[in-house]
Amino acid sequence: MHSSALQPAVQSAVQPVGQPVGQPVGQPAAGSAAESEGGTPALRTHQLAKTYALGFFRKKVRAIRDVSLRVERGEIFGLLGPNGAGKTTTLKVLMGLVRPTSGEAEVLGRPVGDLVAKGRLGYLPESPYFYDYLTGRELLVFVAELFGLPRRESRRRADALLEQVGLQRAAQLALRRYSKGMLQRVGLAQALINDPELVVLDEPLSGLDPIGRKQIRELIAQLGARGKTVVFSSHILSDVELLAQRAAILVGGRTVDSGALDHLVQARILSTEVLIDRPAPVLLQALAGGAYAAEAVGETVRVVVPEGEDVGRLVDLVRRHGGALLALTPRRESLEDVVVRRATDDNGAGAAAPLPARDAQPMGA
Amino acid sequence: MMKTPAIALNTFREAIRNKVLYSLLFFAVVVIVASLAFGALSVHEEVRLTTDLGFAGMSAFLVLIATFLGVNLVYKELERKTVYTLLPKPIHRYQFVLGKFFGLALTLLVLLALMCGVLLLVLHLQGAALEPALAMLVALIFLEVLVVTAVAVFFSSFSTPLLSGLFTVGVFLLGRSVPDIRAVAAKLDQPGLPLLLRGVARVVPNLRYFYVTGAEIDGQQVAISGTFVDWGYVGLASGYAALYLAVVLLLAMALFSRRDLI
Ligand SMILES: Nc1ncnc2c1ncn2[C@@H]1O[C@H](COP(=O)(O)OP(=O)(O)OP(=O)(O)O)[C@@H](O)[C@H]1O
Ligand SMILES: [Mg+2]
Repeated sequence: MHSSALQPAVQSAVQPVGQPVGQPVGQPAAGSAAESEGGTPALRTHQLAKTYALGFFRKKVRAIRDVSLRVERGEIFGLLGPNGAGKTTTLKVLMGLVRPTSGEAEVLGRPVGDLVAKGRLGYLPESPYFYDYLTGRELLVFVAELFGLPRRESRRRADALLEQVGLQRAAQLALRRYSKGMLQRVGLAQALINDPELVVLDEPLSGLDPIGRKQIRELIAQLGARGKTVVFSSHILSDVELLAQRAAILVGGRTVDSGALDHLVQARILSTEVLIDRPAPVLLQALAGGAYAAEAVGETVRVVVPEGEDVGRLVDLVRRHGGALLALTPRRESLEDVVVRRATDDNGAGAAAPLPARDAQPMGA
Repeated sequence: MMKTPAIALNTFREAIRNKVLYSLLFFAVVVIVASLAFGALSVHEEVRLTTDLGFAGMSAFLVLIATFLGVNLVYKELERKTVYTLLPKPIHRYQFVLGKFFGLALTLLVLLALMCGVLLLVLHLQGAALEPALAMLVALIFLEVLVVTAVAVFFSSFSTPLLSGLFTVGVFLLGRSVPDIRAVAAKLDQPGLPLLLRGVARVVPNLRYFYVTGAEIDGQQVAISGTFVDWGYVGLASGYAALYLAVVLLLAMALFSRRDLI
């Protein structure tokens, strides 16, 4: 698995041959595609809710309560949220796997389950599991047949995609012998077999090693560069930050916010961590008297400068009293912070949350 | 549309690769051992015994396999979450159910053909003349197996494999006793029960159409080895099976289409 395997194959691997509804490869962005569809978004949900009735007593579990999303054509969109937020459930509703209890959902301007929309769609389920008696190549050929592709073309695409995701050497291996990361890759390959216009990926980066993560991230970015719409879920903010133009945050089954990334996670610096090596005793005294939380780690001292305070003052202190400035790291808001902030401040104060998705009820209600 | 056949072939491939055909070995061993035992018991009757018990055994064996595979057919896809990959593809849910059913039907057909091969070989070795009536018998056995498969798939489209298995076996047993149920209903002279019995006899498939051994035709007990039915009868039985299959599979497809795949 060389990371170089990913790059050259992408352009040539899948062309919309024999795809009646395919859109030309390399189309730069949403513009013309959106026009041909009457400007409909790639995905849209409005106040989507799903309540499962489980078991004999039909015990109610509210998986999602109020999810409103709008994904434009040609963008890479992140669906962010902690475990159990309802990301998978939302995507399952959109894929027609479960019926919503209420609310609206549309895929490529068509109702959920529409065959034309399904033909232009690629989906990678969460921790995917496939027919384990098939080889990777057989799975891809089988899936291609479900799109009505002719045999020859199915095989061609299967081989090209296996190469693209770095699995060419495992092509003839039964899927039951695949590792988790390999399953994730073959899952991605099967989601791309029809050269979809819209690619929906549920946690595409989970279960991968650092190299694998990088490769799949590159692949997603390339899909975006080719004008595809990509929607992916994650609970890791940095993945979304690296890839997506826009995102929505789900907490407790509600979209608590959505929009451009810099809108969601403010560039706001929560605190700055300053590492000082071998500080002079005078400096230590000055620190002890000051308002900073300082902590000694061996020879070095870690000082946390809270939000709104001038880091420069501390730097001046170090300069004046002696000590080596090792590092100065701003700690930005993380997803956890955003989620915690969103889950706790109920009325949305301090954040521009334009979604109608919020109401005054506490989360646990 | 090549999508349903693609799903069917994949189902068939799964059965083959999961070594379903190994059950054939078991069948072959049983048949051969039994025929040797008959040979030792009664020299003249051995061909008749092998034929009767061989085909009855084949039928029972296939019904068992059909039930087992049928109730797991859809369930396994749900449990292993392979439906998550399959159903977002441009197929209808009913195509999925149909594809799975035909895939299993193909598996059972291949198994039936191989079992017939074993049985006919043993008969041949016993010096029996192979009657063309046996082909009709085999056709009837297969029709019955198809009906049982559809019933199993129907139950499993909304229920767990264990319950579906029990229901299917129940329907099978009732189905084979439809004439008896009717007879009992006719004899009873209370108001409620006969109505219920007639209702049951109406809903379950009348499997006696397919399982003719031991039935009374024209006042005579028939055995498999006899020539008792003609192709016209097989045609009628096929029509009945097709109708029953259509109804049960339509119900299964409707139920599956509404279901949440979780
Ligand atoms: N099949 C199901 N039956 C009952 N409840 C369910 C089912 N699937 C999900 N839920 C519930 O719905 C909620 C949302 O689950 P979901 O899987 O959509 O979350 P998620 O955001 O994808 O989480 P994760 O990051 O862990 O994948 C959870 O509280 C879960 O318990
Ligand atoms: Mg999930």
